[in-house]
Amino acid sequence: MTALLEAKGLKKTYRMGKVLVPALREITFDVADGEFVAVFGPSGSGKSTLLHLLGGLDRPDEGEISVDGISFSTLNDNDLAEVRLRKIGFVFQFFNLLPRLDALRNVELPLTLADLPEKESIKKAEDMLKLVGLEDRMSHRPSEMSGGEQQRVAIARALINDPKIVLADEPTGNLDTATGGEIVQLMKRLNKEKGQTFVVVTHDPAIAETADQILYLKDGMIQKTKKGRRRL
Amino acid sequence: MRLRRIFSMAWENMKQRRLRAFLTTLGVVIGITAIIALASLGEGFRVSITQRMEQGFELDVLTVIPGSFLVGGIEKFNDTEVAKVREVSNISVATQVTRAPRSVILYNGDKNATALVVAGVNFTEFAGEVFPKRFRFEEGEMPEQIENDTLIIGYKVNHPNETEPAFVHPNDTVTMNTIVLNDTSQIFGSYNFTVTGTLEKTGTAGLTSFDYWVFISLETARNIYGNATDLIYVKVPDPELSESVAEGIEDLFPPYRITVVVPLAFIQQVNSILNMVEIFLTSIASIALLVAGIGIMNIMTVSVMERTREIGILKAVGAKSRTILTMFLAEAVLIGIVGSVIGVPTGYGIAHVLSYVITRFAAFQPGWFGDPEAERAAIAPIFSWSWVIIAVIFGIAICILFGLYPARKAAKLDPVEALRYE
Repeated sequence: MTALLEAKGLKKTYRMGKVLVPALREITFDVADGEFVAVFGPSGSGKSTLLHLLGGLDRPDEGEISVDGISFSTLNDNDLAEVRLRKIGFVFQFFNLLPRLDALRNVELPLTLADLPEKESIKKAEDMLKLVGLEDRMSHRPSEMSGGEQQRVAIARALINDPKIVLADEPTGNLDTATGGEIVQLMKRLNKEKGQTFVVVTHDPAIAETADQILYLKDGMIQKTKKGRRRL
Repeated sequence: MRLRRIFSMAWENMKQRRLRAFLTTLGVVIGITAIIALASLGEGFRVSITQRMEQGFELDVLTVIPGSFLVGGIEKFNDTEVAKVREVSNISVATQVTRAPRSVILYNGDKNATALVVAGVNFTEFAGEVFPKRFRFEEGEMPEQIENDTLIIGYKVNHPNETEPAFVHPNDTVTMNTIVLNDTSQIFGSYNFTVTGTLEKTGTAGLTSFDYWVFISLETARNIYGNATDLIYVKVPDPELSESVAEGIEDLFPPYRITVVVPLAFIQQVNSILNMVEIFLTSIASIALLVAGIGIMNIMTVSVMERTREIGILKAVGAKSRTILTMFLAEAVLIGIVGSVIGVPTGYGIAHVLSYVITRFAAFQPGWFGDPEAERAAIAPIFSWSWVIIAVIFGIAICILFGLYPARKAAKLDPVEALRYE
C-alpha cells in the first residue's frame, strides 16, 4: 500500500540575522491513509516548521514531500495553493478564523475559493457545522464564541473540502483541559467515522496515547517512531 | 474565486470600516467633483463664447480690406480690382462698399444724430444676399425701387438714447452733413435723404455690427465720395471653403496689398485656445484625484499591514496570490466606483451653483459688466457623457493604480510569516 503522505530527507534552515538556525535536519516518514499521527517534541524542536512544510505553506531546502501522489517540488506557488485548497486542511493553535465573518462564512470560505455555487456551499457548511456540534452557533462571529467553539469551527473549515489530510498545530494548546479533551475526542471521532487522516503536532499525552503513529522530534530530527495499533 | 464573491467580500470589508472607507472615498469624490465641475463649466464657457461669436460673425462672409496692418499705406480698391475679386471661383457673391471718410451728423428738424459709418451699398447684394439676417426692420422695409435718396438707418443711430423716442421714422427726410475728401482738400457737403427703414439691433459682437451704420445706395455714395471702393464682402457657399477662397483673393494682389478677414479661422483659433483652457482647468482638477489616489495607497498599505494575519489565513486555506491581489484591488475599484457615482452628480450640481453665482455677481457689478449683457454672459454648464466617461475611467484607473502597490504587497506575503504576525 502506498503512503498518503511521504516525507523524504527534509531539511530546513532559517536565517536569523547572520546566524543560520537549522530547524529540520533529515526528516523521513510516511503517513498511511486513515492514520492518526501525533508529532511530539519540546518547543523549538521543529514541529511547526515540519507542519508548514507538509502543508505546502513553506518549501524545504532539501528533500521531497508528496501528498496523494503529488510531489510538491514540481509545483509552483499557484499549484501549491490549489493543493492546500483541495487536499489539505489546517487547524491552528490560535484558531485563525477570519474575525469579521460568522461561523458559517468561515467554514464556507474554502468552498468559495473553490468556486462552488453559494447555495451549495452554504448547505455543505451548515452540514459540517452540525457535524462538529455547532448547529446553534452558525451566525456567531469568532469574538462571540468560546475557544472550544472557535476550534470546532476551525476543524469544520479544515474538513469542508474533503481534504486527504488534516494538519493540526497544537489544536488544544490554547484550550483548557476539558475543552481540549472534547476537541481531541472530535478529531478521534472524525478519524474513526470518516477515516479522516490527521497529523497533529501536540504536547498533549491524551492525543499521543491513541495515535497510530507517534513521531518524537528533537533538534530537528526524529528521535524515535512509535507505531501504534492500526485499528482498521 | 468568482469576481462577484470577491466584490461582495470587499464591500463587506469596507462596511466594517465605515469611517475609513468614507474618508478614502471622499478624496475620490472631491477629485471627480472638481473635474466634472470645471470641465462642464469650461465646456459651457467655450460653447457660449463660440455661439456668441457665431452670432456676431457671418461665418460664410469674408471681408476684404485694402492695405495691411503690417505695411500701412492704404490705397482703396479701383473698379478693375473689384471686378477681379468678383471673378474668383467658389464664391456666391461679392459686393463692394463705398464709405464716408468720417462719421457724419444727420439732422431731422431740430434733432440730430451721429452715424459712425455711412455705407454706400448695392442693397440687393449687400442686404439681400450677403447679410440677410442683419436686415430686420423695426419700422419700414426694404424699398422695392431704390432711389438716389434712399436711406436705411442702424439701430444705435436711430436710438442714441434708449429712453428717448426714435430719431427718425420712415418717410422722414434727413439732412446729412458730411466731409468729402478730394485730392487736395476737405470740403463739406450737405445732402437730403428719405428714410425708408429703421433697423433692429444687429447685436454687439463680431466685426460686422451695423448698429452705428446708415446705408445709402452705392451710386449715390460714388457720386458723393468718388468711385473708390473701401471694402469688399465676399460670401462663400460653405464656410469650409473660406480658406481657399481667401487664398484665391490674396493671389490676385501683391503681398500686403489687402487683408482678408476669415471669421472661421478666427473662431477656430479662439476655439482651440478655449479648448486648451478647458484641458488646463481639468488637469488642475485632476491633481485632486491624484492626491486622493495617494490617500488610497496610504490607507490600503495600512490596511494590508493590519490584515496580514488574515491574508496568511486565506493563503493557508488555499487562496492564490492572484485571488488576494484581486480582493484588495476590488476594494480600490469599489472606492473608485462609489466616488464616481457620488462625484459626477455633485460636480454638475456645483457647476450649476457656480454658474448661478457668477451670473448674479456679474449682474450686480457696476461698470462694464453691469448691464443686461450680464444675463447673456451667463455660462450654463454643459453635461457631456464623454467627460463623465473620462472622469469615471480616470477615477477608477487612479484607484487601481494606487491600489496596485499595497495589493501586490498583500499578495506576495509569505504565508508562514503572515500567520505568525501579531
